[in-house]
Amino acid sequence: MESRVITITSGKGGVGKTTTTANIGTALALQGKRVAVVDSDIGLRNLDAILGLENRIVYDLVDVVEGQCRLRQALIKDKRLHDLYLLPAAQTRDKNAVNSVQMEQLCQQLRAEFDFVLIDSPAGIEQGFRNAIVGADEIIIVANPEMASVRDADRIIGLVEAAGKPEPRLILNRLRAEMARRGDMMDVADVLEVLGVDLLGIVPEDEMIIVATNKGEPIVFEKRSRAGRAFLHAAQRIMGEEVPLDEVTEVPSLLERLRRLVGFGPALAEKRVRS
Amino acid sequence: MGIFDFITGRKKPTPGELAKERLKVALVQDRMKVNPELLELIKSDLLTAISRRLDVDEQHVEIRLAREDHWDKLKAEVPIKRQKISFECKVTVEVEKDDESEL
Repeated sequence: MESRVITITSGKGGVGKTTTTANIGTALALQGKRVAVVDSDIGLRNLDAILGLENRIVYDLVDVVEGQCRLRQALIKDKRLHDLYLLPAAQTRDKNAVNSVQMEQLCQQLRAEFDFVLIDSPAGIEQGFRNAIVGADEIIIVANPEMASVRDADRIIGLVEAAGKPEPRLILNRLRAEMARRGDMMDVADVLEVLGVDLLGIVPEDEMIIVATNKGEPIVFEKRSRAGRAFLHAAQRIMGEEVPLDEVTEVPSLLERLRRLVGFGPALAEKRVRS
Repeated sequence: MGIFDFITGRKKPTPGELAKERLKVALVQDRMKVNPELLELIKSDLLTAISRRLDVDEQHVEIRLAREDHWDKLKAEVPIKRQKISFECKVTVEVEKDDESEL
């Protein structure tokens, strides 16, 4: 299989890039793919924590690029999945520790070992962002349905196209379907109309993400979570499977919410999805 | 429905619609690097040009940026009072004169 390098970026910070990278990476590995997730946010390392691997870091991306260690020494094997590896960012260096040429070479090295290389981009549009996209075949934009995030996403789409990359696909994260339905915030159609890109996934706002992050376990392992299923579906779409974009219509009934509250959630919630 | 329709009170927008309309205007401004001042200049140029031929109701002219069908657009609504009869090619003649004077 041809190896694919995919960069997850957003412009604005705090919209869910790192969570998206961790979960799509995990979901791809769950589907039997060999996956490397790369934290390119040098100086503000976080992907390790979302994956629960923060205690295992010895070497990092900058060490590899500077030749202080071999790539394989820096790659951290996931605790749960055999085919998932993390290349952590350096914490004590800054964004300018790596240049575009080095980043491109690193991507080439990773291609040889993995089916998918997912690069978690830093926020912003400076060198760190440019490094993150330089070696990518595909770009995923993460945006929330609010003005500042969509505006930054539009800027990023322009920069990605200017860099000669194919049109990015969008993950609309933290959608509050109920608020959108009432007209209190933008809905999926509004954001797509403004940005004019293809949709890769819709991830509903989900408190379980916070719990999962606290535990260091990606949400895709949590079958009850709607956000977890949404990330799984996005990963399946990346692999070319046709998964209907029904995340948004899947509004839980009052009964289901009650069941979740008392803890009988999983089985019943799953049944609803399958039907 | 554009933001100007909202302002003139034709329909009360929901917060979601308001966000989308504000966003569209902001994005077109970002992309085209057009600020409100430049928009006013374009409006005045446009009025000068159109007023040569038609009697424009200048109080009700609307000019704005929009994004529709994947295109950034400059949209102008120019109400006309009544038609001026001015089919003479005065302007063209003047331009030719200017060209000559430049040479």
